[in-house]
Amino acid sequence: MATEAAYPGDDPDRLLSNTRELAQRVRKDQRATWFPLLVFALLTFASIPVRRYSGHHLDCLAVPRVCTVYSDAEFVYWPIALVLAYVAIAAFYIRRSRARGVGTRVRPYAIAGIIIAVALTGVALWEVHNPPVHPLGPNGLAYHLASPGAAIGLALLVLAWAERNRALLLLTLAYLAAVLVPITFGWVQPNPPWYVYPAVFQGSVLLLGGIGFALAQRPLRSPAP
Amino acid sequence: MTRHPANGLDDTVHQRVRLGILTIAHQARRVEFSYLRNNLELTAGNLSQHLGVLESAGLITIEKGYAGKRARTWVTLTKAGQTALAEEIAQLKLLISQIERAGTAPG
Repeated sequence: MATEAAYPGDDPDRLLSNTRELAQRVRKDQRATWFPLLVFALLTFASIPVRRYSGHHLDCLAVPRVCTVYSDAEFVYWPIALVLAYVAIAAFYIRRSRARGVGTRVRPYAIAGIIIAVALTGVALWEVHNPPVHPLGPNGLAYHLASPGAAIGLALLVLAWAERNRALLLLTLAYLAAVLVPITFGWVQPNPPWYVYPAVFQGSVLLLGGIGFALAQRPLRSPAP
Repeated sequence: MTRHPANGLDDTVHQRVRLGILTIAHQARRVEFSYLRNNLELTAGNLSQHLGVLESAGLITIEKGYAGKRARTWVTLTKAGQTALAEEIAQLKLLISQIERAGTAPG
């Protein structure tokens, strides 16, 4: 094998462009974006029966007429599911990194994901007892921000930064828009099938994104040594 | 009289293979010997020589171990290595801009 194949010359322009090319190649080898997206799509779809078959509370304020519907099971399901998901994602990235021989940038993502999940669960619990008075105002936005979907989306922003992945950044922004501006404008009917629509929609965005990244990243995968 | 940017290039880092090693190690944080060998299209002996130069200069650390029964060699960039790489890139950019300016200058 010849050194010249990788480095055609000492010309500064070529050295710099080769440096950029090598950096991009390493970044592509480090990415496994499809895995967290598919994991979160699975968790989102699995949350539908959790919500459907668990008990609900419906708390309404008389003036103004604002109702909050929530399920106790979701407050147990989501924090546990999210923490386990981040552990599984970190384990997957580390295992893949060892097989490929190139380090991973998953640590800040997993740590940020767990912190965001725990923090937003706390905020959501607080909001159950202090519902927003104006659902479409700033308080309403905070209401949607304290949701599992927003926890997933905010952590995905960290992954997009860690992986220097513009495509993931765009997908995450679209996903966060789907979470923060829900098709029901946040006022989900307590009866089925209305409340499942946001979960189906958000899960579908994650699923399609995961499939797209899996297809895009597939040719870049090199066989394990 | 201003110093020419070519004088600011460090021979240890400026060498094209070693610059490639530092670039990959910087992106990867920790990289395995075989990954470097495949991506830089080098022989094991050639790569070892360059790694030795960089390690002696304190720009990388080399860690040997096992993954199951397989012997593995991991390369990590040191703080000095990060600084040296950043300086090299800055000098290269400066050099390119001076060449471009000289090319467009009249006469």
